[in-house]
Amino acid sequence: MRRFSGTNTGELITRYARDGGTTVLSTTGRTINRQANAAGRALILFLDAMRAVREVAGSTRQLLRQIEHSGFGSLLVLSLIAGLTGMIMAVQIGFTLSSYGVADQLGGLIAITFCRELGPIWAAVIVLARVGAAMAAELGTMTVNEEVDALRMMSIDPVRYLVMPRIVGLIVVMPVLALVANAVGILGGLAVASGQFEQTSATYFQGIQNHLTTGDVVSGLVKSCVFGAIIGTIACDRGLTTSDGAEGVGRSTTMSVVFNVIFVLIADLIMTWFIQVPLKVVTG
Amino acid sequence: MTDRPGSRTALAQVLPERTWTKDEIEAAAPLAPLPAGIQPVIAIRDLHKGFGSRKILRGIDLDVLRGETLCILGGSGSGKTTLIRHLMGMLKADVGTIQVAPAPAVAGMPSTEAGFELGAANEEQLATWRRRLGVVFQGAALLGSLTVLENVGLPLVEVDHRPANEIYERVVEALRRVYLPAQEILHLKPASLSGGMRKRVGIARAIIQRPEIILYDEPTTGLDPVTVSGVNELTLDLQKKLGITSIVITHDLEAAFTIADRIAMLYRGRIIAIGPTEEFRHSPNPAVQQLLTGSTRGPLTEAYLQGTSES
Repeated sequence: MRRFSGTNTGELITRYARDGGTTVLSTTGRTINRQANAAGRALILFLDAMRAVREVAGSTRQLLRQIEHSGFGSLLVLSLIAGLTGMIMAVQIGFTLSSYGVADQLGGLIAITFCRELGPIWAAVIVLARVGAAMAAELGTMTVNEEVDALRMMSIDPVRYLVMPRIVGLIVVMPVLALVANAVGILGGLAVASGQFEQTSATYFQGIQNHLTTGDVVSGLVKSCVFGAIIGTIACDRGLTTSDGAEGVGRSTTMSVVFNVIFVLIADLIMTWFIQVPLKVVTG
Repeated sequence: MTDRPGSRTALAQVLPERTWTKDEIEAAAPLAPLPAGIQPVIAIRDLHKGFGSRKILRGIDLDVLRGETLCILGGSGSGKTTLIRHLMGMLKADVGTIQVAPAPAVAGMPSTEAGFELGAANEEQLATWRRRLGVVFQGAALLGSLTVLENVGLPLVEVDHRPANEIYERVVEALRRVYLPAQEILHLKPASLSGGMRKRVGIARAIIQRPEIILYDEPTTGLDPVTVSGVNELTLDLQKKLGITSIVITHDLEAAFTIADRIAMLYRGRIIAIGPTEEFRHSPNPAVQQLLTGSTRGPLTEAYLQGTSES
């Protein structure tokens, strides 16, 4: 740690501002440079994995394993969270809508929120925390145990054998999980609507029918596919670049979760701004 | 009763009697002239490699002859792993070349492939080279999610696309060759096996594609004496029966003297001694003698202490 010695307090403050400021700037610069490199490397990994998709027939077993592991394993937690969120939303919004005398719009509001945003985001959060972290840890362990080197030495491309099935698996599974989250969230809202606001299911679903469009559902599913690609790519990249043994595996796992949260939200903002909103304007 | 190779008694008469300078200790051993008409299967010339400011390899000159077992000894941080990763085609040299000879003719058919320089090899040449290599990793590097059958048969499934019954037969044959009870362990995951069994399964996977050369990365580290003897016998057996060229990176002196035709010592990024086992045993270089006697006083420890204080 840098030490600042001197007798004059003013001099000390000046020196700290100068040297400390330089340190902060250089550290920030190095971090930005490192993360830009990592982003470029992850993009190349994704493109390589997409090129390997033509050999997907030879990786059916790994692909099915990934789909099973990522999809079925996440269903229970996701359903619980989506259901609870739907109920909380219904409670929060229901009272406000009732005060304006438009409580029959509750179903539509909840359905739009889930299909456009909450379903894909909740699916992404659960998958990146549960599956993405596990992927980074698994590939990280394989890397430090030289299993990835062993694959290369057997002329087996690790991108084709390890990365492609994981990314494709998540791209396939994520829309399904988002649909499940949408359905369970809407049903959670219905439970509160009928219990707290004495709304019939017919009124609730009529509200959904009046407001929800195919565009809302499709754009949400497209989002979830993109989230799947991001989560798979970042998790695999972090795993395959692991070093320093067990400590490195832990670091890769943590960084995979952190970067996935950041990039999923950035991608969500971009897609909402540049795709979902214009699509809504065009399709009405 | 004979003295254990490298024991103090055995080496008493060859311990250095004069003081060596640092340059003399680190001077690279000259390449032995090859007999006429013999081409090395791997010829390493002036190989340098560094990572940042750290120079790991500082001018390696080494020939590997077809069919021999060459053991490479060296202390921690001497560059053994960096050297083996160059041979695997996973690192590119900063300076120097690794020339590999064409594959030998098989079953009366002449070899059609030309030799090439590993550092300048394209993807296709690199893949061809790796097909000629089997690698036994230090921790066996078996895939934890696959069974023994799937691990050993992996290259046959993913690369050679062989039918299931042929894969099964070849896996059983490979496991039998490394003295493992194939039927009992075929469907077990690596986590259910002992360290020695995992290492043998790793060797079975390395020989399943019938390689021409096997690289062993510390094959006996962490094994009990009986398993060590088993692995040593296996290495000799593969050399005798299949004519495989073996390059063994090891710390285990007894194993080296048991299996090697030649031994080389890597010290601070250079080969400082190389020769047939008896010749190597009598090398006057103090670094070699310190390694053989296991003394805590000598150039190896000084280099280590210097390295740690620098780091």
